[in-house]
Amino acid sequence: MNGIRRDFPLLGANPQLVYLDSACTSLKPAQVIDAETSYYTQLGACGGRSSHALGRKTTEKTEEARENVARFVGAEASGLVWTRNTTEGLNMVASGLDYSKRRKVVTSVMEHHAVLLPFMKLRDRGQIRLEIVGCESDGTVSAGRWAQAIDRETALVVTNSGTNTTGWKGNAREVAKIAHDSGALICIDGAQGVAHGRTDFRRDDFDFLCFSGHKMLGPTGIGALVSKRQLLDRLEPLMSGGGTVKAVSGGKIDPMNDQTRFEAGVQHYGGILGLAAACDYLKKIGMEKVEAHEKTLGMALRRELEAVDAVIYGPADAAGHSALYSFNLKGKPHDLALMLDRQGIAVRSGFFCAQPALEALGANDGAVRASCYVYNTVDEVNKFGEALRKLRQLY
Amino acid sequence: MVLCFIAFFVFAVMSIFSAKYRPLAKEGFRCVFRTLMMKPCDTGLDERIKADVVSAVLKYSPPLAKVINGHFAALSWLFVIITLASFAYTAVGVYNFYVYGNCDGPQAIGACILNDITGDYGRFSEPTDLIPPTALDGMAAGNASANVTIIEFGCFTCPYTKKAESTMKTLLQRYNGTIYYVFKPFPLPNHPYSQDAARAVLCAYRQNKSWELQDEIFRQQQVCSEEGALALKPLAQNAGLDMAAFNRCFDNNETGAELERYVQEGRDAHIYATPTFFINGKPLVGPKPIEEFEKAIAEAGG
Repeated sequence: MNGIRRDFPLLGANPQLVYLDSACTSLKPAQVIDAETSYYTQLGACGGRSSHALGRKTTEKTEEARENVARFVGAEASGLVWTRNTTEGLNMVASGLDYSKRRKVVTSVMEHHAVLLPFMKLRDRGQIRLEIVGCESDGTVSAGRWAQAIDRETALVVTNSGTNTTGWKGNAREVAKIAHDSGALICIDGAQGVAHGRTDFRRDDFDFLCFSGHKMLGPTGIGALVSKRQLLDRLEPLMSGGGTVKAVSGGKIDPMNDQTRFEAGVQHYGGILGLAAACDYLKKIGMEKVEAHEKTLGMALRRELEAVDAVIYGPADAAGHSALYSFNLKGKPHDLALMLDRQGIAVRSGFFCAQPALEALGANDGAVRASCYVYNTVDEVNKFGEALRKLRQLY
Repeated sequence: MVLCFIAFFVFAVMSIFSAKYRPLAKEGFRCVFRTLMMKPCDTGLDERIKADVVSAVLKYSPPLAKVINGHFAALSWLFVIITLASFAYTAVGVYNFYVYGNCDGPQAIGACILNDITGDYGRFSEPTDLIPPTALDGMAAGNASANVTIIEFGCFTCPYTKKAESTMKTLLQRYNGTIYYVFKPFPLPNHPYSQDAARAVLCAYRQNKSWELQDEIFRQQQVCSEEGALALKPLAQNAGLDMAAFNRCFDNNETGAELERYVQEGRDAHIYATPTFFINGKPLVGPKPIEEFEKAIAEAGG
């Protein structure tokens, strides 16, 4: 990981900054920024529509990016739909599936609001029956709990491949198998998982995978829904509009028969190129190295938190844990986050858009979250620990 | 949340001079508005202020930072109450200045600060700049050949001149025959009808009844400040003046030129407040305790 920090202009401009909020959004390397900018400086046209040279070039580059990003998560390009972010992908799955034969959707209390809310809305409209699986006291959700909830009535199971609350990497592969054994589909919230570990869509036998570019060094406003190709045909698009049809004539719609029927309107081409560059960047480092680095950082984080007797939410076992910890000292989490900020340390506080999860963990007033990524160092974690020790004197 | 009241005021004032404080002033306003609507403040401004304060103190004194952090709400209330009290105190001071020409009101020990006449604002603490007058004309009392001369520049509608009057009377009795007292009227333009009152007392002096009239004026000082000649004439009658002579003197402005001479003397002396005394040339500003006068008289050889 040596030299990586030099790639991040924001770190160069703020050498004293200790950025520990990557679970919210990651910093962007110059390579990603340049790739996104290149669309505006070198292409600037519409993809998939205009037949002039710049239009063709835009189509070519974005389709290359589709291949690239799909390969990064072990999927086929034909199953990858561009979205704005993970949330949009999850909403597309939630609203696009047919629940007439199987009405039940199973998810867990440890999920992000982006998972829970679309399905809670469907439940409130009477379109589905929603079962929310509980968690153990450490925030893990055992395979047994999933198996108990998933049955032959289950249409869809939704879980994450890494939580944004406890740092637990989850058991998505195991849950996928349980779902498939009951004939249900599995949709993975990969917002954290794709960014922090190797994801293999085919190997893990996922049906849907949603993730965001901005959490994995890519630009904001771009993400992807990855689906098994045949399942895309069963999914009703969330939006319709330009680019989603072959023809609209005689009052009839003739929709596109590939993933572009989900991509209504002109796309975020700059973001697409930036996301592909982020995948290249991470591939160049190697996801195994990313995981190993984060494991070291995670252990250092835990050590610092234990040294100040923080209440740590999540499993104690370092295995299967990313470099993300939610915790509390005495006092309000928001106050602590603000005071860490005054010491040059950026962390998140609150419920992290996962209030049911934090309440299940007993953090009824929220928590503070420190989350690392490839550009963080053990020295930075030590600085964080030093700041915590100082702030502990306040309580 | 209570801190937002202060933050709003402070940032609103600062945003007059710099646009960068305007978002903070808006946040403060929103917080104040929500608080008044009995809703919780949702701007986080107070939390950021707390973090700034506690973090700053933590660098120097962790125990103090701990106290502030633990009792921030109570300290905020205390701060707000002190601030509001100081606002109220300031408002009273401004009112007093407008009405009485000083910030402390009619009962306070101080002086009526000047002044449009000499332009010598803000030199209250530097009476050494005062230049003793050389002429001894004025409304005099006591022994003209005494060793000690007290010259007073005073305004009949100034509460501090009124306050000093009893001291002067006491000194004249106590140092009977050993001091010579000269009063030079110095009407302050920021006191309504001060000129009229001065002219009236000069007219009374012609009848050797200046003390009587000035006693009446001081007793009814507020009324004189509000009604001018309408109040002064009945007071002259109460003082036992020959009203025909007084009316002639007052209505014809017979003492106007004389008054202007005293005012010019005051200008030349750099008078900036009333009452101002010169005890054998040594200045004293304000109605000082009698002991100070006695000390000054003793130093002057009285």
